[in-house]
Amino acid sequence: MSSPVIQTKNLDFFFNSGSKTLDDVNLVVPAGSIYGFLGPNGAGKTTTLRLLLGLLKKQHGSIEIFGKNFENNRIEILKRVGSLIEQPSLYLHLTAIENLEIYRIIYGCNKSRINEVLSIVGLENTGKKKAKQFSLGMKQRLSIAIALLHQPELLILDEPTNGLDPNGIIKTRELIKKLNKEHNTTVLVSSHILNEVERMATQVGIIHKGKMLFQGSLGELQQMKTKQTALEIETSDNTKSAQLLKEQFSIQQLNGKIIIPFQSKEQSAAVNKMLLQHNIDVYTLHPQQSDLEQLFIDITSNDK
Amino acid sequence: MSFAISLRAEILKTKRSAAFWLSVLGALFIPVIFFLMYFFKPEEFSAQLKSKPWEGHFEHGWQALSLFLLPMFVILTCSLIPQIEFKNNTWKQVFASPQSLGNIFFSKFLAIHLMILFCFILFNIFMLLSAVSVNFLNSKYSFLSTPVDWLALLRLSFKTYVSILGISAIQYWISLRFKNFIAPIGIGLALLITSLIIMQWEHISKVPYAHPALTFFDIRKKSSHLLTNHEWNSIGYFIFFTIVAFFDMKYRKERG
Repeated sequence: MSSPVIQTKNLDFFFNSGSKTLDDVNLVVPAGSIYGFLGPNGAGKTTTLRLLLGLLKKQHGSIEIFGKNFENNRIEILKRVGSLIEQPSLYLHLTAIENLEIYRIIYGCNKSRINEVLSIVGLENTGKKKAKQFSLGMKQRLSIAIALLHQPELLILDEPTNGLDPNGIIKTRELIKKLNKEHNTTVLVSSHILNEVERMATQVGIIHKGKMLFQGSLGELQQMKTKQTALEIETSDNTKSAQLLKEQFSIQQLNGKIIIPFQSKEQSAAVNKMLLQHNIDVYTLHPQQSDLEQLFIDITSNDK
Repeated sequence: MSFAISLRAEILKTKRSAAFWLSVLGALFIPVIFFLMYFFKPEEFSAQLKSKPWEGHFEHGWQALSLFLLPMFVILTCSLIPQIEFKNNTWKQVFASPQSLGNIFFSKFLAIHLMILFCFILFNIFMLLSAVSVNFLNSKYSFLSTPVDWLALLRLSFKTYVSILGISAIQYWISLRFKNFIAPIGIGLALLITSLIIMQWEHISKVPYAHPALTFFDIRKKSSHLLTNHEWNSIGYFIFFTIVAFFDMKYRKERG
């Protein structure tokens, strides 16, 4: 695997309140990947991303971006990074072009980039309209345009689809994939929606209560998923069945069904045989393909 | 070089901003009042301005400005320009862009000072225009037939500018600290009014918020030195608080 674009080691962070916001976060974002940074609200996603951009003072651990220590190479690194953190940051009294012009000057890009990024995000014809008259979706798109202006090698996007309509969400997702494919841009994108990450990411990191619970490729996540597959059973006498099954498996009862961890086809047959021997009719017996959503709940509720 | 880039970006941000309009309207206010006074009471004012019309006109104008309106304008401008970032949630984008902290801090401070100087220049132009236009309407005045003493005007503007330096640094620091713009304006206004109340105090020359008012009294005395005591103090406060504000920003845990 190619060397990571972002690598954090033992990253901890405390806010004044005392509780740990981040606890030993070791983020590894491989070059050329789309890294989906997943976690419920308040898990520490934004804190991590803000630390990566130097918006929060690092307290413990190390941050390397492009193989260089962040603190000693802040400006050099930031020149190659585009970012969008939380809600759009735009000068509302200025037009789309004026907003872009400010950052064009700072990044020293060509004037033609302004029209290029405007057409990438589909905001070519806003003319003299000021940013404050934009819809939330348009503001978000303009913020993405700013992040893309200097053709960064690394894009850090914090919940970029927040507040977008379904069409906007699809477009943003397509855009991220396209940038990754055509320009080999590494993208670190945070989200609290599993489905979304699943649809674009090549790498996934799951954070919960400041701790990384999972990190790996989407494939590895799928593998974990099979491990977590459950066998769903519905019978004429669920109470009796549950008692029987309890002796051998850890069971769960849900909506009139019994769920036990799926191990093999043979296990299904054995369960069936056992229930029949006790004169219980089996209505349903099938491995339940627990989707990522279920896994997400499983993973994030593990440390209770 | 990179500082010039940051400064250009800062100036662009003030386009059509509240700070910009405040400068224009602030510069226009007193010249308009003078125009109306001259226009409606020509007998009185033409007699008053008989001997040195331009000198009298500009001195009265600057005096009317520097006692209260100018420090108030400085307080407002120092908070309105950082407010552009607070209000729009753009500090994070600024700090995540490849600019050194020094460039971010000083380019914004310089943009504030350019805005103040812009207001000074506009004020002088509007004062000039108000006198000239009133003279066109009423020939009793002698503005058109007397040359303007440009050097005296420059001296006046320069002294007044120096007198607000201390306030500008203190207000910039407070404005960077508080997200809510009421805080810097409230603190500034309270300090300004306090210093006007204690004007008789023997150490008043050490109170930065009284410096514009002291320059206002000084203009009449016509001392031979370009800068007087309190104006040097103003420069001292300016340097001290600029350094304090910069290090305060540099060592803050959370940015943007």
